[in-house]
Amino acid sequence: MPHVDNHQVESPETSVTSRRRLLSALVAGGAFATAAPLLAGRASAADSGSSSPARDPQDNNALNNALAREARMVGTYRLAAAAVSADDEVAGLTLILDHHIAYVHAIKGYLGPDAKDAPETPLSSPSGSLKAMAAGLAQIEDDTATIHTDILAILSGMDAAKILASIIIVEARHSAALNMISGTSPLVASGN
Amino acid sequence: MLRSTGIIAASGAVLAACGSSSASKTIARVGETPEITKLGEAAVTDVVLLRTAMSVETMAKTILTDTAVTSLVAKDSAGIVSGFANAHTSHLANLRSLISARGGEAYEEPNEKLMASYGTQALGLVAEGKSEDDVSSLMLAIETLVASMYQYFVSLTVEPALRASMIRMGAQASRAAAVAAQLINPGIGAFAPGVDKDGVATVATLPSAFGALSAVQVQLGPVNPETGSRATVSMDTPSLNSFIY
Repeated sequence: MPHVDNHQVESPETSVTSRRRLLSALVAGGAFATAAPLLAGRASAADSGSSSPARDPQDNNALNNALAREARMVGTYRLAAAAVSADDEVAGLTLILDHHIAYVHAIKGYLGPDAKDAPETPLSSPSGSLKAMAAGLAQIEDDTATIHTDILAILSGMDAAKILASIIIVEARHSAALNMISGTSPLVASGN
Repeated sequence: MLRSTGIIAASGAVLAACGSSSASKTIARVGETPEITKLGEAAVTDVVLLRTAMSVETMAKTILTDTAVTSLVAKDSAGIVSGFANAHTSHLANLRSLISARGGEAYEEPNEKLMASYGTQALGLVAEGKSEDDVSSLMLAIETLVASMYQYFVSLTVEPALRASMIRMGAQASRAAAVAAQLINPGIGAFAPGVDKDGVATVATLPSAFGALSAVQVQLGPVNPETGSRATVSMDTPSLNSFIY
């Protein structure tokens, strides 16, 4: 009886994933390119004092942690924006949601094919009045800024440090703005 | 004929340009040109950045505690303005210990260049305008400036742990900026950039997704009766010519 061998073409396990990753990286790259002018240094001559590498692959793990956190922030704000009905409340929370989506894209764009899957698992289930929701979201923003600051302290690559710094600065603003909405006193909201 | 004449003329011009330098010494000149002294190399080290941060924090504190500002603050807002100024004092203490740990020398003066560029002008306009609204606008501008400075300095700082220390202080200033923005234009509807009923841009609490490094612009002082507008002061973060080396 003739015997027919079924030969399967062996390919590296990562090939399909890599292609998918490459495609997603290209999409994310667009967002990264959009953010790039904001991140660019202004006095390039001043960089002469810096001896840090622009990129360091050893940063990838820490950056994937930052990406995972941002993806969860996106999930959280999707719930929050869906939980309010007044137009200005929807607009305000959607604005912050869009910011976090931009952060996900910026970090993904930076990591390219090294970006790991980051599920949008919410960090909480925002509900109730806007005031109550805002207090919880402000705390989550604070925690996220702290996580990113801890990551910043161990990054070698300057490009990644610039991205995280520009995110932390605005997340601090998110936190204070939400605290003001929740009725916290201005001095406490400003972190004093 | 024409072509060869052209070639001869062009060759003459080239030869004239290549002439010996002795000819140029004979050219008449008016007055003496002083020798140009090259500036010394100044490296932007982490300590330079910390010292510069001290100069900007001192400038921020000086502006917020100036009588031009404090004399206009309403009683219920006085605590906020002094609280913001105290935060800069606290940053200064932090910066002092960061500098000392790196063998540097603290810098206790306001940044002279930046004060001359816009600090003094801003205070003069506030004094001239005598409007409490200017105090909030100035607070927003100063806190945004300080936050931008630290964000920018992260890109120049060599030591990763120090970048985190810088951004912690920047984040605090950024929080203060958001609070100032909410005091000017309160509510969640003021998060995004917008315009009022006259089409004039309103103050946004969250003007961009990423921290901006562009100059901070603020309108201060009285309305100019001829133009109908107020003076715009442009505040830039420190750069090579305003670093404290």
